[in-house]
Amino acid sequence: MSANRIVITGSGVISAIGAGKEETLQSLQQGVGGVAPVRYLQTDHTECMVGEVKMTNREMMARLGIPSDVPVVRTSLLGMLALREALQESGLSREDLAETAFINGTTVGGMDKSEQFYLDFLGETASSEVPVAYIKTHDCGASTDMIADYAGRFGMTTSISTACSSAANAIILGARMILAGECDKVVAGGAECLSKFHLNGFNTLMILDQQPCRPMDAGRAGLNLGEGAAYLVLESEASAQKRGAKVLGVLSGFGNACDAFHQTASSPEGEGAFLAMRQALSMAGLQPSDVDYINCHGTGTPNNDPSELRAMHRLFGNVLPPFSSTKGFTGHTTSASGSIEAVFCLLALQHQFLPVNLNFSSPIADEEHPESDNMPVTAGNQALRHPIRRVLCNAFGFGGNDSSILLEV
Amino acid sequence: MEGKKIFVQAANQISIQKPLCREWMENPIAYSEPFSRSIDPDFKPYVSPVEGRRMGKVLKRALAVSLQTLRDCGLDQPDAIITGTGLGSVESTEAFLLDMCQNGEQLLKPTHFMQSTHNTIGSLVAIQTRCHGYNATYSHKQISFESALYDAYLQLKAGETGNVLVGGHDGTTPDYFRLLELADYVGNGMNGTCGEAAMAALLSVGDRSYPNPPLCELAGVKLLNRPTIGQWKSALDSLSLPDDLVVFSGENGHPLNDSCYAAVLQAVLHGRPAVPYKRWFGECFTASALGFYAAAEYIRSGKAKNVLLLTIGRSGEAAVVLLKGLSVD
Repeated sequence: MSANRIVITGSGVISAIGAGKEETLQSLQQGVGGVAPVRYLQTDHTECMVGEVKMTNREMMARLGIPSDVPVVRTSLLGMLALREALQESGLSREDLAETAFINGTTVGGMDKSEQFYLDFLGETASSEVPVAYIKTHDCGASTDMIADYAGRFGMTTSISTACSSAANAIILGARMILAGECDKVVAGGAECLSKFHLNGFNTLMILDQQPCRPMDAGRAGLNLGEGAAYLVLESEASAQKRGAKVLGVLSGFGNACDAFHQTASSPEGEGAFLAMRQALSMAGLQPSDVDYINCHGTGTPNNDPSELRAMHRLFGNVLPPFSSTKGFTGHTTSASGSIEAVFCLLALQHQFLPVNLNFSSPIADEEHPESDNMPVTAGNQALRHPIRRVLCNAFGFGGNDSSILLEV
Repeated sequence: MEGKKIFVQAANQISIQKPLCREWMENPIAYSEPFSRSIDPDFKPYVSPVEGRRMGKVLKRALAVSLQTLRDCGLDQPDAIITGTGLGSVESTEAFLLDMCQNGEQLLKPTHFMQSTHNTIGSLVAIQTRCHGYNATYSHKQISFESALYDAYLQLKAGETGNVLVGGHDGTTPDYFRLLELADYVGNGMNGTCGEAAMAALLSVGDRSYPNPPLCELAGVKLLNRPTIGQWKSALDSLSLPDDLVVFSGENGHPLNDSCYAAVLQAVLHGRPAVPYKRWFGECFTASALGFYAAAEYIRSGKAKNVLLLTIGRSGEAAVVLLKGLSVD
């Protein structure tokens, strides 16, 4: 695949641990998480711990230079900030966008405004003004196009919605388009804001931890929801060379498989996760022993983490590569998590460190692999200086939509 | 794009026409109401009554058209499942949303939330067919289905997979219809109806022997964003359109929608006969999936040699899909 090797020439990120890569890197290296009690989302569940981006919509609009009366949803604001950073780094101009595709993953889309105005839409409130603009911003595609249009005129745009693996699958489609020679530049990733809708949805499933989440820990009790956005600029190596673009990393493999087990739970054997990781490795032509770090999906729910560990054991045997879940930093940023964590991996590769797994105290036992210590990367084990070349980044979703990508430097 | 030839091996629909059959084509039902629900088939051959009670209509229909399409192909499971939907299981989303808005955040139930994510549809088909293969869901307004088709096309062309079950699924509820009316997407004197879509098609590269010959060939898919006339021209040029071509176009009777089509038909497809297929199926986010199905049937039955499916959304999303008759070689 060397003819169409896919390189990454730009990236942008926003999450609870920072707006932009500089703040993000600092938080990751210092082990400072962004999960805190609800402050921005309007909800009765004020007891919830969440990974909010610490800005109001108005503050983000001011940063973006968008007039305050423009109807825009929070998912799109997060996306615009991340996209702007990614494009700036890549050096792509507005003119280049006509030849560039934009693939966005989201599920919440404009739900933050729909839930605010739903009874007005239905005429069930006394409000005389129906905020029609927010009907048009409801669906996933509308969020995507608001983000895209802020940057300019992309040659094509589309949206993927596979719940919590949406952004990873957006990156996979982008990569596939470049491999097929359909285009040589794709901006791919995802954006998702917190909404009352899915906070309550996860709450009904009883998988929210009221404390800061403890992924990969024996005492884990659920996830914290988070929000954010991130994009990678994917490019054929030939195109990057032609432009003289700086290469941040290489996307050398990807895998997508379906667990086909349950709509909201993972199989005990982690079949989908196993297949996705195996495909990514095989596509990259690598052995399990070549992997230097795994950024786990690791939500912190009782169900996900042992299933993912089992999948890792099936692929890597008893001795796992260094692994961690970064959800303790950001909360679970759902549809955006695949690209946010891909940017974390890129930062780790660029700066040669291992992101730590926050809030860890004791490992999860896997009775089929009793020899394995199942210890994630934690502070104090020289995580801050660790040579790494190849990392796997996992993103799994409801419906068993499991994906994994392999990044290299 | 070089690569393998892709065939539409089978396709089925549930819509406002007679479901799961071809007979509707002889004498399509005409609708004068601004909004109509699909005609549901007997679901018993596809889903047990107990399971069915827990599923919304979008899910049940998706399962029926998917399983029927696989049965037509003599398959228990496809290699991959790729789904397009503008709204996912809209009934479940609305039920959860309304409950939350009216009754607050304390006593909500999980079932509607679990079925509300867009990928519930494709995942249900995977669970039912135990398909661990590639699975993805696209949700991009009017080109949700074409996006799914595009992904399938790339994978089949590259020889990564032997067959893909692609689907386009959307329900239209009375409440959502009202919202679309408020936004002036539909209604308001529109000379056409709103419908619902459930369509599944099996695409293959002739990876095995199938009980029936394919309906047609899928010869190209292009997705576009706010294309200029120049970009339209180069997209169509890249498809190498055959001379004998019918355009299946997405006019729905709403002036703001139809004017988008008129401009493009005039500028780049002038003189090609056009069939506005939404007069049969009505409008919804994945109405073009039904257009795709009807176009494949048109070719199979000899009503057209080749069809170009043209989709243009009002906010600039656009797609073209080229279906060709089977070459006699």
